[in-house]
Amino acid sequence: MGNFAMMDVASIQAGLRAKEFTAREVAEDALARVAVADAQVHAFLETCPDLAFAAADRVDAAIAAGDLAKAGTLAGIPVAFKDNMNLVGTHTTCASHMLENYVSPYTATCVKRIIDQGGIPLGKLNMDEFAFGSSTENSAFGRTCNPWDLGRVPGGSSGGSAAAVAAGMCTMTLGSDTGGSIRQPGSFCGVVAVKPTYGVVSRYGVVAFGSSLDQVGPFTRNVRDAALSLNALAGRDVLDCTSQDVTTDFTAALDQDVKGMRIGVVREFMDAAGLTSEVKAKIQEALDKLEEAGAELVEVALPNVHAAISAYYVIAPCEAFSNLARFDSVRYGFCDEGHHDLGGQYEASRSGGFGVEARRRIMLGSYLLSSGVYTKYYYPAQQVRTLITQDYQKAFEQVDCIIAPAAPNVAFKFGEISDPATMYLSDMYTISINIAGNGGMSMPIGLGADSGMPVGAQIITPAFKDENMIRAAAALERIYGTAPIAPAFAEGGAC
Amino acid sequence: MEQYVTESDVRRIAEYARIGLTEEEVASMTVDLNSVIETLKPITEYNLEGVEPTFHPIGSLSNVMREDVEGESFTQEEALANAPAAQDGCFLIPSILGEGGDK
Amino acid sequence: MKKLEEVLKDWEAVIGLEIHAELTTLNTKMFCGCKLEFGAAPNTHTCPVCLGMPGALPVPNKAAIESIVLAGLATNCDIEKHSMFYRKNYMYPDMAKNFQTTQGPVAFCMRGHLDLEVDGPAAKERGDLAGLEVGETRGNVTKTEDGYVAHVGITRIHMEEDAGKMVHVGGGEGRIAGATHSLVDYNRAGTPLIELVTEPELRTPEEARLFMQKLRQIYLAIGISDCSMEEGSMRCDGNISLRRRGATEFGTKTELKNMNSFKNLHDGLAYEICRQAEVLENGGYIRQETRHWDPSGKRTICMRVKETADDYRLFPEPDLAPYDLTDEWIDGVRAKLPELPDAKRDRFVATWNLPKADAADLAGDKESAAFFEECAAGLDDAQAKKVANLLLNDVSAYLKEKGLELGESQLAPSALAELAKLLADDVISSKQGKEVLTAMFEEGADPAAYVESHGMKQVSDTGALEAIVDAVIAENPGQVAKYKGGNTKVIGFFVGQCMKQTKGQGNPKLLNELLAKKLDEA
Repeated sequence: MGNFAMMDVASIQAGLRAKEFTAREVAEDALARVAVADAQVHAFLETCPDLAFAAADRVDAAIAAGDLAKAGTLAGIPVAFKDNMNLVGTHTTCASHMLENYVSPYTATCVKRIIDQGGIPLGKLNMDEFAFGSSTENSAFGRTCNPWDLGRVPGGSSGGSAAAVAAGMCTMTLGSDTGGSIRQPGSFCGVVAVKPTYGVVSRYGVVAFGSSLDQVGPFTRNVRDAALSLNALAGRDVLDCTSQDVTTDFTAALDQDVKGMRIGVVREFMDAAGLTSEVKAKIQEALDKLEEAGAELVEVALPNVHAAISAYYVIAPCEAFSNLARFDSVRYGFCDEGHHDLGGQYEASRSGGFGVEARRRIMLGSYLLSSGVYTKYYYPAQQVRTLITQDYQKAFEQVDCIIAPAAPNVAFKFGEISDPATMYLSDMYTISINIAGNGGMSMPIGLGADSGMPVGAQIITPAFKDENMIRAAAALERIYGTAPIAPAFAEGGAC
Repeated sequence: MEQYVTESDVRRIAEYARIGLTEEEVASMTVDLNSVIETLKPITEYNLEGVEPTFHPIGSLSNVMREDVEGESFTQEEALANAPAAQDGCFLIPSILGEGGDK
Repeated sequence: MKKLEEVLKDWEAVIGLEIHAELTTLNTKMFCGCKLEFGAAPNTHTCPVCLGMPGALPVPNKAAIESIVLAGLATNCDIEKHSMFYRKNYMYPDMAKNFQTTQGPVAFCMRGHLDLEVDGPAAKERGDLAGLEVGETRGNVTKTEDGYVAHVGITRIHMEEDAGKMVHVGGGEGRIAGATHSLVDYNRAGTPLIELVTEPELRTPEEARLFMQKLRQIYLAIGISDCSMEEGSMRCDGNISLRRRGATEFGTKTELKNMNSFKNLHDGLAYEICRQAEVLENGGYIRQETRHWDPSGKRTICMRVKETADDYRLFPEPDLAPYDLTDEWIDGVRAKLPELPDAKRDRFVATWNLPKADAADLAGDKESAAFFEECAAGLDDAQAKKVANLLLNDVSAYLKEKGLELGESQLAPSALAELAKLLADDVISSKQGKEVLTAMFEEGADPAAYVESHGMKQVSDTGALEAIVDAVIAENPGQVAKYKGGNTKVIGFFVGQCMKQTKGQGNPKLLNELLAKKLDEA
């Protein structure tokens, strides 16, 4: 095997260009690799060989015609998508029994853009049901394991997307992030994980969780591949009213020196109660090294950010309650048959189809939006959102980006956190960014001293200045190197 | 801890959200909801006088519309492909007696 | 049960209307590019968006927003520059997303009004105008010569989307009751819908009917909907409560549905007013409920009791950007506003001196008004008046009988103008006019040529007619004596005799005048 899925975009495309191998071979090899490695990791819920080979053949046809570039900037790259993204002809289950048999009749814009650039779709990736969770333990179809330690969670909700890249099963995957669902698993699995500014990537075709918070982004093992992915994904989509014009070439920021870059440090983040000492130490180390490399560290304050978790747990469940109302057993989805009245079918299908966390969030949203309660929580939460947004705007008058932990801890062991309120704290560093809508990414900066598990530094940028995080990430990459494949899955590894 | 919702509230909320719950589920859901709602307290303690809400985190983006031009539609077969039950080109559902529509 | 007139002596009816109109003249749905078409095969005008597929997102139709702003401008509303869409959350199978996208507290159009001119017998339903002088105003009513003008407030017009259609099977006649299953077709789901809500300022079923009629004329004039009450593209619900005359507090209201014609609107409201009065007079109380007008049984039936206020969990739709309309944009829509029926009526009166009622009837129908204007261009007042009479009476009767629209007949405006001239100038009698018109409809006849070839020309030569009149008078001394004795009705006999002499072509008006003059002289 060529282990092509362990390679980055540049190496695969160099090989294709030199005709050392074909895209068809890349697809066959990558699918074979999934068959082996995924028996351990369980990142995939479905593979789609037919679509993969069709995409590969288009790339090979372009090469045969003498023009690899025509096949796109991601030509021949093995990719896979979180299972909340529609890809026509595949199941899109959201890791829920509710959608177990649902076959997408259309394709999400983000998926289409990757495939249009020549990406080879290998399949669909595991997640917490409807993206409700931070560990991928909430999947109706079994948990995904962290490739660095199969006894630990990969994070979530995009746990499958992070694990597939960390285990070298894909060069690139897409995930979605509503409160940290890209950055936290990125940190737990030690891969580059980007949540762009809200509006950079179209949400059309991505099953909605929190419509004003959701954003799609890539997982890769190096910063350049993340930038290439953003180039493909970013920009206005007429099918998503909240998507915006973005014409930035994100690869241009790769070679910009970090010298003179003003990097913000937030005291409240660094001194927070739940932050483990190994994560804190790694973040401090990264900041010191960036300073050595010529960046200027500036302390900034985000006085309202402590209320972000509360605001999030008002806004997100309200939007989720409404977004999940469509799963009613009429047009698609799980149907508990044999009822004589629709009311009975509704209730049985929705309690049978949704897992416990989904039901909990739907119930919470339904309560928070009810009359009398709305004015107590929902409306003020959106006002608090304004304050948090203003905090970030003020901070970004002084700095080009902020660096903070992506998660307070490294990947935890399965079953270690069972109480929902504690699990929600897993997103304490990521949630405020979704509330404000800014860009944020997790960049691997080595392993924690106590656990030996990956630690991610979160780089937060002003809205629509996502190139700033590419610049800072590239600097960190120069210090720490590209993200390694988890040792057990690397070439010569046990799996 | 403050009791924000009672079991009977939870039953009413579940009815509106069309989630069928057993008695045990009602009990545990009541505990869960109360514990989550407790964590929302900071929101209620803010002085927010004069602060505009941000319902859409999209800056000044507004008036996003499309032209009145026909696009692609499904065939009947495509539309019904995922339907649990269909008849005569339509989605088939059990009787809706007792339901209240508002149109 | 008491009659309406009697009930309204003791009780004041408080009526508010909610009027939905589908924007049927657009090409596509509100939030997706599916075609708007009535009667297509089920679920063939659907896509991920209007089927509420997981992941689909709405994108508003610009032409729909222009239409509602046009409707607001035409009904004297303030156009709100800043508004948003909201989600109204409740689960019902004809609504694919299980929330309706609609507007919140601020709609595109707010605070409008229509003035209703209530004349003739209809004005009598309103029992509280005693003591009002012409021109005097009390509340929202101003007394006029023939009745009154009611100034009816419009609370708002908001933009929303229609639901799909359901057919209930296993029961009788497609009703929910007794049905075992329902079939859902989402072709109509997502059709752009505007909902107008009036202030509770209507007081009689006739005012409600007139409001609906006037609004329909306006919507047709601005071309935003086909306003078919039969096909349901324009629908009206009423909220009705009663209070004792002189009381200021509102009573409990009921909501009345299924009033799908002007007659049903009037009769349904009239019945419900009488029903409520009976309940109240018998010491009962009105339950807040939704009732259904049953035109065949001539009664209203309870559909649903509302024990508590509906809690729709309304919140701003995060998938749709808010609106921030500019003055330029609104002015651009305003520029598309055509002349509205009232203005057109006034212009017809001012230009051709038409009777106000005739002008209103013509102006209320876009097609008739345009046809009239084409005919009347260059005609004098008398000729134009003939055109109006022909259109409103003979032409419309003929079309109604044949089940045709004006545009479908072969009647040309220039020909009708010609006929009107022949009539106004007394070249032919009105009886002859009818014959000519029939020939115009059926053979495409040219009126002047037809009159010529059928020797129809009316004799209006005073000299020629005078000779005949003299002869007839001379031949009938007995009748002359009767006339002189005070029986002036015998003039009809003389006219008949003269017509006989002229083979029916004598100008009857002229003959009458001549006879009266000569008989008085005789």
